[in-house]
Amino acid sequence: MRLPKVPTKLPWPVWRQAAGSDRLGRGAAAQTHRSGSLQPRTAAADRVVKSVCPYCAVGCGQNVYVKDEKVVHIEGDPDSPVSRGRLCPKGAATLQLTTSPSRQRHVLYRRPYGTEWERLDLDTAMEMVAERVIKTRRETWEWDENGKRTARTMGIASLGGATLDNEENYLIKKLFTGLGIIQIENQARVCHSSTVIGLGTSFGRGGATTFMQDLQHADCIIIEGSNFAEAHPVGFQWVTEAKAHGATVIHVDPRFTRTSALADLHVPIRAGSDIAFLGGLINYVLTNDAYFREYVVAYTNAATLISEDFQDTEDLDGLFSGFDPDKKHYDNSTWQYEGAQVEAATGERDQDYEQRTGGGATVKHAARGEAHGSGGANVPTAAPRDETLQHPRCVLQILKRHYARYTPEMVERVCGISPRLFERVARTLVENSGPERTSNFVYAVGWTQHSDGSQFIRAASVLQLLLGNIGRPGGGIQALRGHASIQGSSDIPTLFNLLPGYIPMPHAHEHETLDDFVQADAADTGFWANMRAYTVSLLKAYWGASATADNDFRFGYLPRITGSHSTYDTVLEQLNGRGKGYFLFGENPAVGSANARMQRLGMAKLDWLVVRDFHLIESATWWKDGPELETGELATTDIGTEVFFFPAASHTEKSGSFTNTNRMLQWHHEAVAPVDDCRSDLWFAYHLGRLIRAKLAASTEAMDAPIRDLTWDYPTEGGHAEPVAEAVLAEINGWDGDGNPLSAYTELKDDGSTVCGCWIYCGVYTGGVNQAARRKPGDQQDWIASEWAWSWPANRRLLYNRASARPDGTPWSERKKLVWWDPAEKKWTGFDVPDFEPTKPPDYRPPVGARGTEAISGVDPFIMQADGKGWLFAPAGILDGPLPTHYEPQDSPVDNPVYGKQRNPGRLTRPHPENRYHPSGKEPGAAVYPYVVTTYRLTEHFTAGGMSRTVPYLAELQPELFCEVSPQLAAERGLAHGDWATIITARNAIEARVLVTARIPSLTVDGRVVHQIGIPFHFGPNGLARGDAANELASISLDPNSHIQEVKAYSADIQPGRRPRGPQLRRLVGEYQNRAGITADTGMEA
Amino acid sequence: MEVIMPTERLVRHALRDGHDHEGQDYERAAARLGIPPGRAYMIATGRPADGSTPGEPLGSRAQSLVNPREVNPTSRDDVHEWLRRMAHSDASMRQGRDSTGDGAK
Repeated sequence: MRLPKVPTKLPWPVWRQAAGSDRLGRGAAAQTHRSGSLQPRTAAADRVVKSVCPYCAVGCGQNVYVKDEKVVHIEGDPDSPVSRGRLCPKGAATLQLTTSPSRQRHVLYRRPYGTEWERLDLDTAMEMVAERVIKTRRETWEWDENGKRTARTMGIASLGGATLDNEENYLIKKLFTGLGIIQIENQARVCHSSTVIGLGTSFGRGGATTFMQDLQHADCIIIEGSNFAEAHPVGFQWVTEAKAHGATVIHVDPRFTRTSALADLHVPIRAGSDIAFLGGLINYVLTNDAYFREYVVAYTNAATLISEDFQDTEDLDGLFSGFDPDKKHYDNSTWQYEGAQVEAATGERDQDYEQRTGGGATVKHAARGEAHGSGGANVPTAAPRDETLQHPRCVLQILKRHYARYTPEMVERVCGISPRLFERVARTLVENSGPERTSNFVYAVGWTQHSDGSQFIRAASVLQLLLGNIGRPGGGIQALRGHASIQGSSDIPTLFNLLPGYIPMPHAHEHETLDDFVQADAADTGFWANMRAYTVSLLKAYWGASATADNDFRFGYLPRITGSHSTYDTVLEQLNGRGKGYFLFGENPAVGSANARMQRLGMAKLDWLVVRDFHLIESATWWKDGPELETGELATTDIGTEVFFFPAASHTEKSGSFTNTNRMLQWHHEAVAPVDDCRSDLWFAYHLGRLIRAKLAASTEAMDAPIRDLTWDYPTEGGHAEPVAEAVLAEINGWDGDGNPLSAYTELKDDGSTVCGCWIYCGVYTGGVNQAARRKPGDQQDWIASEWAWSWPANRRLLYNRASARPDGTPWSERKKLVWWDPAEKKWTGFDVPDFEPTKPPDYRPPVGARGTEAISGVDPFIMQADGKGWLFAPAGILDGPLPTHYEPQDSPVDNPVYGKQRNPGRLTRPHPENRYHPSGKEPGAAVYPYVVTTYRLTEHFTAGGMSRTVPYLAELQPELFCEVSPQLAAERGLAHGDWATIITARNAIEARVLVTARIPSLTVDGRVVHQIGIPFHFGPNGLARGDAANELASISLDPNSHIQEVKAYSADIQPGRRPRGPQLRRLVGEYQNRAGITADTGMEA
Repeated sequence: MEVIMPTERLVRHALRDGHDHEGQDYERAAARLGIPPGRAYMIATGRPADGSTPGEPLGSRAQSLVNPREVNPTSRDDVHEWLRRMAHSDASMRQGRDSTGDGAK
């Protein structure tokens, strides 16, 4: 057929519309030569590469269009069952993120005391870094500390972003562990480490219990500690789905945001008071007998009796039994189940490990902190129970007494929420829970980043267990993680205290064998009882043929920890001169970490610093243009730190997997090769390791054996010799003696016959197929979409789903059925992969003395817990109390009306002249800092800004720092909308534009009005969208379980006008400290 | 300058018979017109290519017509070979298995 042609000379459009066939002007009549000749980028592309958004952890699918080996377009992938083709403003800007000409493309070098960057070729720079690592390691090597073997270096540390691929994190952890580096940390510490503790101790795994699409089945959704609609916009579509189905949506938050606007009810709350609110809800459920009795009796430890030595905060005015005020530490031996052996705690366990444990052979460690990411604490399964729930020492009765004082009136005094509003929330939640209905809690870092953050999540866990909302469709706790693979960077941890799969890093001891380690850390019962097989398989993945039974599978090669080596302790190590070298992988602590100024002062003490990023972020340029140069605290020519900047490859320039917020691994393919010196972190880790190993190949030093014996034989491809990421994934998955990929962690052996880099990811390479790359379209599957990518564990999407059926195995209701026992087939079946042994019948009861999985009965849905129960009361696993208890933040203008204890007695403080704390409540000087600051994320920006403040689209949408204040606060301090304000704490002072809005209401708390200040935390002095960093204001005060920092609630003052420049800035901060009478002892009480 | 104008009439011409739900003729017609096949279908029929009705969320398989050049490999022979090589280079794996029977513990 001959196609008609458009005339070369077109008549007037209106005439064409009137005279031609296109009367509506929608086609030919409206077209010009120019528009007619245009081809959409999607149509002209050579190929479309499947990918995943690199920003938040919703994990939106992306289609990357490539033309002439350049990325020309990126859009949402409609195949994705999670995102259904949608992208938020950040996701939609990834074309600009990845292709921007402003990206750094060459290695830069700053020599010691130098004033400018210099160009350096990539090979030379890699050689120099390898030499620095070897030299520093040699100079700082430590075989023991106080007579206990450590076999490590404290001279080198790393901090990695949570947007790295799992494969990259795996190689970084493997290489650095082989080098004896233990200060390995990432963004997960700063964002959601307390999630792992809270969820892990309650349910046995530290990940969200549900998945994004299941939100649509909720009858009530309470979003608290999260601005879901703005921080995770695409995931929020499942909330609106639920609402369309009739669900009630409640938003509890200090600010009225777009989440509130789409909710049925907004409940303003004072930042940092959420445990009081959740405790009030728990009390409401208990006093009204509104708990789901059959679920609670069968599936939780409500009936279990606790030791008669246990004393509650009711008895001790805010303390639990076992507190040592000198050590600010609990001995949890009185919290145990009745008849249980005395157990020790982990955070400080090295200090008296030998004394307490008899060499690790007689007593198990109870609290393993983040090790509960996949495996609960060890407790006896045969503890006495009272299933009438009447015994005064059964958990339910203890719970009733503990929360009795969390009345609606107390909630009002603490949170500023009226009893009427509280009652409405409580009633809605209860009415939407039970056999026929389920409710869901959604949270983010508004809950995690507190000095008792783990207990915020524990409180929600207790409530959801009481209401029977765990393991059931529409129920659960949705932890919204904010980075593409922050879940993955916990699972395959670049964290100091963990090995892959939440196996704890060993502590230093005089003599400890693998068996001692396993005996001390494994549980007797449940799947964690197989920890030896998981550990041996990991050691085989690290040290291959060198790891044999004769040498304890090279267990001795693992460097040892001796306490906290978290990123905040790394800063102190740098300041005291012990830290010499530092790697930053896509992380910007000069903006993103609490007390940002301390981060920069610490880096100024380093010998060398390696920064890998897209742009020259603040953590790369502080020596040249940091705020301390202006204040006169630092001078460029006095700073001896050698700085290497390596440009990073983007997610479109490398292959690898991200683990999204719901434990789902999704593969993104390399669309184009990175240009110039840009390389992936996989490339960097692999080639750094290759160079170091080559330089040490002839070494006979004992300290070099672990790095020389490390298996490092990865295949490479392409012009850059990029390691094959799928091979690394295959190692993470594991193989048997014949090289066959393993298909499940139940295949792992403890005799050295299996290799597995991360046992919880075993199965992701089943059959030699990259399961994470599976992309069967969502609309060709049911709502579970189990053939889209792969979730740990074992591709289960909704955890603990055995609880979706009654104890006898039948569904609680037709409306909420998910997994059930099929008596004819004698197996569990349903819509999801059963989170239970597939053929273990509901009537199975373990024989006396049963161990391992055999000890889990047919009615125990929480299979990673030693007793198979959801923990209302945590006898072990958490350091600051078995029950969540309200304490005020470290710095608070408000007294704690609930107890005599103002602050969390077990919190971690880091006293330092640059990290002073405020007086609180009625303490003298507290009025100097009278307001509450809370920080938050914007839709258009990302964490410390390295991936958003440099992107023109996003910078234009949110161009500068601002602070939100109420009209009342504005009037009280004379703040004008649009003008400047200065916000001051004992750490620093920042300036921001004032946004006067009723969206952040002032609240009446315990008879006084409390004003709150909201500040987005993304800004810094570099990039296109600039401003002071909110984290300049925050102190380093930490949750004791997770070592996460408290940045979501602290006190401050605000004054109109810009902050002082130069030395005057520090004078202002000092004047405030003097007025408040701040000393080294302020805020340090137990 | 010659410009192709993909009006409905033009697409129907290109399709010859005007309707084909298998998509093959649309691909050929679209190639001639220089537009994606899914768009050709939409122009000709007024409906999205995945069969959903207007107003419903976009069906994912509409993209199969728009994106016929998808790249999403899920398996690599060279990785399988590497796995075998790694396993075979470690005799202790087989020794461990042999020393404990099936290796289970």
